[in-house]
Amino acid sequence: MLKIAKDKLPELLQAWAGGAKVFVPQDKGGVSVFLPWEGQGNLTLGEGNTLEPPKDLFFPRTETMYRYQVQGKEASLIEVPSLEEKRVLVGVRSCDARSLLLMDDVFLTRGYVDEFYRQRRENTRVVALACTAASPTCFCTAFGIDPGRAEGVDVQMWPVAGGYLLEGVTEAGRELLGQGSSLLAEAGAENIPAAAKPGLAVETSGVTEKLQRMFEHPYWTAVSRKCLGCGACTYLCPTCHCFDIQGENRGNSGYKFRCWDSCMFSEYTRMAGGHNPRPSKKERLRNRFLHKLQYFPERYGKFACVGCGRCLDRCPVNVDITRVIREVKEVTL
Amino acid sequence: MSSIQEQMRARARELLTRGEVKMVIGWEKGTFWYLSPPAFITEPEDCDRLVWDEFCTNNLAKYLLDYKFTEDKIALFVKGCDSRGIIRLLQDNQIDREKVYLIGIKCPGVRDGRQAAALGEERRSEAPLAEKCRYCTHPEPVIFDELLQDEGGAAIREAQATPEGRFAEVARLEAMSPDERYAFWTGEYDRCLRCYACRNICPACNCRECIFDRSQSGWCGKQMQRSENMFFAITRAMHVAGRCIECGECERVCPEGIPIMALNKKIIKDLNELFGEYEAGVDLEARPPLGQYKLDDPEEFH
Amino acid sequence: MANEARVNPLVPRTGRIIKIVDETPDVKTFHITTDSGKPFTPLPGQLAMLSLLDVGEAMFSITSQGPEHLELAIKRVGMLTDALHEAEEGQTVGIRGPYGNGFPVEELKGKDLLFIGGGIGLAPVRSLINYCIEHRQDYGHLWIIYGARSPADLCFKDDLFNNWPKVENCRVDVTVDRGDAGWQGHEGFVPAFVEELHPDPAGKVAITCGPPIMIKFVLQSMEKLGYKDDQIITTLEMRMKCGIGKCGRCNLGSCYVCLDGPVFTLAQLKQLPNEY
Ligand code: SF4
Ligand code: SF4
Ligand code: SF4
Ligand code: SF4
Ligand code: FES
Repeated sequence: MLKIAKDKLPELLQAWAGGAKVFVPQDKGGVSVFLPWEGQGNLTLGEGNTLEPPKDLFFPRTETMYRYQVQGKEASLIEVPSLEEKRVLVGVRSCDARSLLLMDDVFLTRGYVDEFYRQRRENTRVVALACTAASPTCFCTAFGIDPGRAEGVDVQMWPVAGGYLLEGVTEAGRELLGQGSSLLAEAGAENIPAAAKPGLAVETSGVTEKLQRMFEHPYWTAVSRKCLGCGACTYLCPTCHCFDIQGENRGNSGYKFRCWDSCMFSEYTRMAGGHNPRPSKKERLRNRFLHKLQYFPERYGKFACVGCGRCLDRCPVNVDITRVIREVKEVTL
Repeated sequence: MSSIQEQMRARARELLTRGEVKMVIGWEKGTFWYLSPPAFITEPEDCDRLVWDEFCTNNLAKYLLDYKFTEDKIALFVKGCDSRGIIRLLQDNQIDREKVYLIGIKCPGVRDGRQAAALGEERRSEAPLAEKCRYCTHPEPVIFDELLQDEGGAAIREAQATPEGRFAEVARLEAMSPDERYAFWTGEYDRCLRCYACRNICPACNCRECIFDRSQSGWCGKQMQRSENMFFAITRAMHVAGRCIECGECERVCPEGIPIMALNKKIIKDLNELFGEYEAGVDLEARPPLGQYKLDDPEEFH
Repeated sequence: MANEARVNPLVPRTGRIIKIVDETPDVKTFHITTDSGKPFTPLPGQLAMLSLLDVGEAMFSITSQGPEHLELAIKRVGMLTDALHEAEEGQTVGIRGPYGNGFPVEELKGKDLLFIGGGIGLAPVRSLINYCIEHRQDYGHLWIIYGARSPADLCFKDDLFNNWPKVENCRVDVTVDRGDAGWQGHEGFVPAFVEELHPDPAGKVAITCGPPIMIKFVLQSMEKLGYKDDQIITTLEMRMKCGIGKCGRCNLGSCYVCLDGPVFTLAQLKQLPNEY
């Protein structure tokens, strides 16, 4: 166990920045987001989670997949260079750390490996930060997540009086800490602070089994009435991974890109002939919740929600997944 | 006289019990004390879910479009700004006046939920008025079928309103150099997720099929990047020009906290200067400045 | 998969249209190959993502293959398919795949097979019919019932009227909704035609593909004739983007049609949400 003084943290970030691009939560126009560390900045490591999850760093909002040139009947395709950039992601909370493991299931398993994701993921070291004070909207423990210690990360940090405790979890993590050895002092593990108690609580057991019998239930009409179909909940969710593939054409050349998409939009499932299997917000909202709480568990054996609370915090009309879980368990079939 | 909230529940119960309406749309308590999201009540026994408090901000007018193709009559609670949303939809022939029953509320102003949350529940009473309410010119509904009675809501409201500040932010932005202004707006709209919450809540945005839902049309790429985001931002703002009722909902619902109202108000201010003072959604008969043709139009036609 | 890990599955290979066959006024079959031969070797019923690089990309069923090429029968329904119909032989395309589960050719061995197709729905079924003909000794009696709106709308006429009727132990019945002056064959809708022919369910598996409305009525007819849910196989069409179970678009419950479909037995479909 090592310790660093709070005012030395920028120096540690700087040391890491020597061999990699460092991303850390910083204030941007009043909101906390992961931004590259450029020697100075307004770190927001104490104040709850970032507005946007770190998924953008692995699965960007928009990314070019390949370029092409067309000349009459001839056409050629130019692949984008592989993504070699080394990165260190600092200040990831336990909920978001779990979300990366869920993304791994999606992008790296079941027969196909998504190369864009894999390259970014393998080139990124993750430094987690334990939560000692949670937001009122947090409910990570509902999914067996420990706000005091993240899964699948390289380094775990804890905030303590005057600084941070750090523990190298993986070999790569210990190597990172080695780079900052002059800034770090030995400390006792007994100083590890108690983990935060999330603001919301919900009991998830049995919800998947109940949902399996609720596809046609009138509950979905009632719960979807207020939904605006805006997709903010899905864009801000660390586990939502839907994307669209489209092209941008300029004269003889262009590029194909993928960008985030949302199952809350009407265009999402609309087919070329006009038929839409999910014609209204009832079907779309239902799909979102079933995906998180039934389909993903059926396919990957885990809930696709990490209790970060972003959706219920930013939903303009307070569609609240914890309430949905509770209500689902209560409705009569 | 009973409180607004009690009157609300009683009237909703009566309307539903007598079968005069199929549904009542109002507000209920959400997950937290500072949230009063929309409530859709269809059963008389559920009417006690309805609340009236300082967080009943959500403009409910736009929901009427979800029921456009049903025969059912729907009752809706309207504050001043909400009622202007109704006028907006009526002017665009989006709703049938006969199918809506409007219960008006003299609005004392609502409070900013996000700032209230930051203050904490102990300091609930200190939560500031929502930005839009500070400049609101019509706290009393401009259209209604009945008006709930209260003592002095309007008086409280008038004491707090400071209409002079309405264009203060616009003036600040106008004073910037073009480069500064570009940096400001790109900085804000670079965050835009293109979730379209701002469009979806807006009573002035009511095209049957929005171009942003037709990415195949080629008008606007689906890339979330500066050029496409800017195209979206400008198109949305121009589409509500002369129709924006200043309900502030677009800005409130934006998950990224983009100051959308500054853009809307800039256009309102320009329209006022070009075509004379006009307030959208107040007078059902008055033609909006961009919805009419005059020979002395300041812009020449080519 | 391990040794293919470095191949980016979302990036197509370039290939070329080497032949275009007009099937009907709005269906054409495209023969596609690459510089290194056949793009890949699909199982019957599998899918390919085909693109015109500057227009778009979409998923199509592979109706047949030769040693050096794949065949995709494509109906004109939107922007990409319009552009494909305008394309000429020699046109460069992007292609990736094969995707999906394909027909359960192993489980069908030894069975009598009844193929029921409507319109362009014959395209995926044809890949299986040709496979069964190639492996003739592995399968029992083959019975093809096919219909289209009019004689001009019949796809794969050469197979229907020349090739398949010559195959041993194989029967072909064709109908059109409405005939024309030259039409000598049967007139009427496919579901009614199936009932008229009343193929006995014993030892059979029925494979049906066509417009959703036809499928709906065919399924009713099959039920009347005594077919069980696990004796009926069909294929689904969904909007698809990635084809590899990542983009989330084609889900039916917890299954992704691009990976776990498009081929399902009716028994499997009944376990899934009715969202197609
Ligand atoms: S569903 Fe909501 S609470 Fe759950 S992970 Fe997504 S954003 Fe967070
Ligand atoms: S954020 Fe809320 S309103 Fe928007 S789509 Fe999600 S649930 Fe609906
Ligand atoms: S643009 Fe914004 S303020 Fe204006 S009417 Fe629409 S939602 Fe209300
Ligand atoms: S609500 Fe905000 S983030 Fe969403 S589209 Fe509008 S401006 Fe962009
Ligand atoms: S097409 Fe992307 S998951 Fe099936």
